[in-house]
Amino acid sequence: MVTPLGNDVASTWNALLGGESGVREIAGFDASGFPTRIAAEVKGLRPEEVVEDRKSLKYATPFSLFALAAAEEAVRDAGVRPTPATAERWGLVCGSGMMTQEFDFLQRFQQQFAADGEIDVARLGAEGERFISSSEFARHRTVAGQALLHRRYGIRGYSANLHTACASGGQALGLAMRVVRSGQADYVLAGGYDTMINPVGLAGFCLLGAISTDNDRPTKASRPFDLTRNGFVLGEGAGFMVLEDWRQARDRGAKIYAELAGEGNSLSSYRITDSPPSGDGPIQAIRGALADAGETIDAIDYVNAHGTSTPMNDLSETNAIKAVFGDRAQDLTVSSTKSQMGHLIAAAGAVEGVICALAIENSTAPMTANLRTPDPECDLDYVSQGCRPMPIDVALSNSFGFGGSNSCLIFRSPQSAETRGI
Amino acid sequence: MQDGVVITGYGCLTAAGANAEATWEAVLAGKSGIRQVETWDSSGWPYRLASEIQDYNPRELISDRKLLKFIARQDVIGLNAVAQAVAHSKIIEHREGLADPSSFNDRTGVFVGSPATKYRSQHDYLSPLAKASGDTGEFGVLAMENVHPMWLLRTLPNNVLAYAGIQHGFKGANENVTAHGISGSQAISEASRYLIDGAIDRAIVVGYDSASELEALPYYASVGLLSPRDLRPFDRRRDGTVLGEGAGALFLETRDAAERRGAKIYGEVLGSSVVSEAEGVLSVREDGGGVSRAIRSALEASGKNPDEIGMISAHGNGTRVSDASEARAFVDVFGASSIPVTGFKWSLGHTVAASGVIESILALLCLADSRVPGISTLEELSPDCEGIRAGASEQKPRSSVGIVVSRAFAGLNSCIVLSANG
Repeated sequence: MVTPLGNDVASTWNALLGGESGVREIAGFDASGFPTRIAAEVKGLRPEEVVEDRKSLKYATPFSLFALAAAEEAVRDAGVRPTPATAERWGLVCGSGMMTQEFDFLQRFQQQFAADGEIDVARLGAEGERFISSSEFARHRTVAGQALLHRRYGIRGYSANLHTACASGGQALGLAMRVVRSGQADYVLAGGYDTMINPVGLAGFCLLGAISTDNDRPTKASRPFDLTRNGFVLGEGAGFMVLEDWRQARDRGAKIYAELAGEGNSLSSYRITDSPPSGDGPIQAIRGALADAGETIDAIDYVNAHGTSTPMNDLSETNAIKAVFGDRAQDLTVSSTKSQMGHLIAAAGAVEGVICALAIENSTAPMTANLRTPDPECDLDYVSQGCRPMPIDVALSNSFGFGGSNSCLIFRSPQSAETRGI
Repeated sequence: MQDGVVITGYGCLTAAGANAEATWEAVLAGKSGIRQVETWDSSGWPYRLASEIQDYNPRELISDRKLLKFIARQDVIGLNAVAQAVAHSKIIEHREGLADPSSFNDRTGVFVGSPATKYRSQHDYLSPLAKASGDTGEFGVLAMENVHPMWLLRTLPNNVLAYAGIQHGFKGANENVTAHGISGSQAISEASRYLIDGAIDRAIVVGYDSASELEALPYYASVGLLSPRDLRPFDRRRDGTVLGEGAGALFLETRDAAERRGAKIYGEVLGSSVVSEAEGVLSVREDGGGVSRAIRSALEASGKNPDEIGMISAHGNGTRVSDASEARAFVDVFGASSIPVTGFKWSLGHTVAASGVIESILALLCLADSRVPGISTLEELSPDCEGIRAGASEQKPRSSVGIVVSRAFAGLNSCIVLSANG
């Protein structure tokens, strides 16, 4: 993982347990004129120390760098990598972000072809070819990160690149699970990566009024389920994992963190930015994941919520959990790690999937930070008093996107999976 | 359980025709939709060809005119194809007779091949950038004053997915594939996966693109991919591709669901594949190894031998390396001069994320009508494409089963195996 809380799994997890916040005043550019001047940026990443491949680094935009660094950690940790003999049996599934063109490039474009703000079409026709370099052209392709990961690891089998906004990472892991299940690949490197923390991305969210403007108290700005919540905080980063068939992993003596046991995937078909207050849409995703994993509502110990800290998401999600879990909802342990690391958009579901595996591994539920004023309509147990040591056999992770795509994933502990006789 | 994925509706909008029938007739008649760009003054441009939608009028292309404020040109094109395929499938009439339409909607998926973010959407920021002259703080102030509050929503890469759901009420599993030239094919492939897995009973699949944008022409030309003259697949004098616009949509159902409602079945998706060559963003293996692996893998998934295949719809984008390597793969898998090969980009241009779906519809029509149209611009088969049975004149398919090959940046290759009339 590369997250606003740390540039690897251990430092991110420790920061989560320590209740730290990754939200600061934006350091990457001068944001003084924007209504929102805070974000959860990745700090001090030195990708050249992680990825010993200068050619890959040259062709990487910042968010491809996050992907390369996180994928490297996942592949090393898995203790297995593609060889010429296995390359075609390895797959890659990415949830990737929507902003593939760098801001500096847009700025140069404006200076050369739109000096007064209007494009000089004749000039673009005459000089456009020489304006862009081939490495810039390559870097800005939507599939650039996917291509880099394929090349770096020599993955020559199945491949997918998905974008359903904030559901991308969750959907990517769900698809990867299905690819392994169907035997289409023996191993899948799967995850998500994104950044929208640049002047255009920040402007887009500010215009929409979707992000918190609590510039004076950045570490308190993301407060999912709190009565005073007023929007999410932009984050950035990447999360990757290696998925493989259970028996194969056991036979090769791999360290198994968890079983990715089920996926629910639905569409709210309501509004672009929200699910309805009733939770319709997310409800079908959660039920779909339970059915796919063969689990009942009683089995779920921990829910890593989408919990963005927007008024509508947190209400809709709470109501979806209540609708699915009924009386059991009050006993569930639910938390949103976005309270500490912000919203990683297309990477969120993948990073939170890794967090679920870590929660199982470490028998600890992370907390929801900054929940000080309870919202009478959001009345579940959100773990607001610090992370909670507890046995976690089955964890559930929600990701809901702009556009109405919903993803719900279920992770089982290795012991629980073993007992079920997989 | 289902036994097969069948096609019960289709529709498309291309530079050569406003629907599938008109497009098919244009292709059969040797008519091309490739012309000089008309959406801006391209008169002095060295590369000024494109296949643009003719007489583009958004108010006639979608039923909900209020939506035009919230979506972009490519989204309008995509939603038009969706509406055509949905109408063709008569699924809405069927739903109206159901006692429980909500569970029907929950079991109806939306799978999209999307072009991801486009250059055009960034033009809204050129004026604030010009006025801010390099000061990002000032840019923030100006962007808030000058850019439409809904800018981000208009720019979402999953708008067609979201509005296909909202307009038609579909709420099942969904994916938005952003994988350049295989996006459309992979959307078909992924919908089939969810249908076979039993997660849904039916799905709308759409691929759409508006690839011939202002900047796209000089940028693609800068890496040597565009032709200044015409698109002539496999021809000795081919010198590049031509970008264009279009959308295609298929309505897919499990055979069981289609037969139960007495739907007219137009064809069947027998198998599909996606593989990567893992050589980088722009590299293509000269031996066509990725294409032959994709074809073999899709044939295996469909349980078909090479000699059971009746025709090939080639990617045939008109670039030197792609066409030669593709031809090599056809000879490798099927033997020399054995099987009719055609392609449609000479007429429709390269519609990138849309091409896989549009070309699958046309391949279906080839098989249904037992006519393989010639490639009008193919005057002399290139020596480096030797061994494929392709030319300007019409051929007959050997059987009612065909394959559709699509290729993309990142060394991605996809193959769909289709049959007509189920």
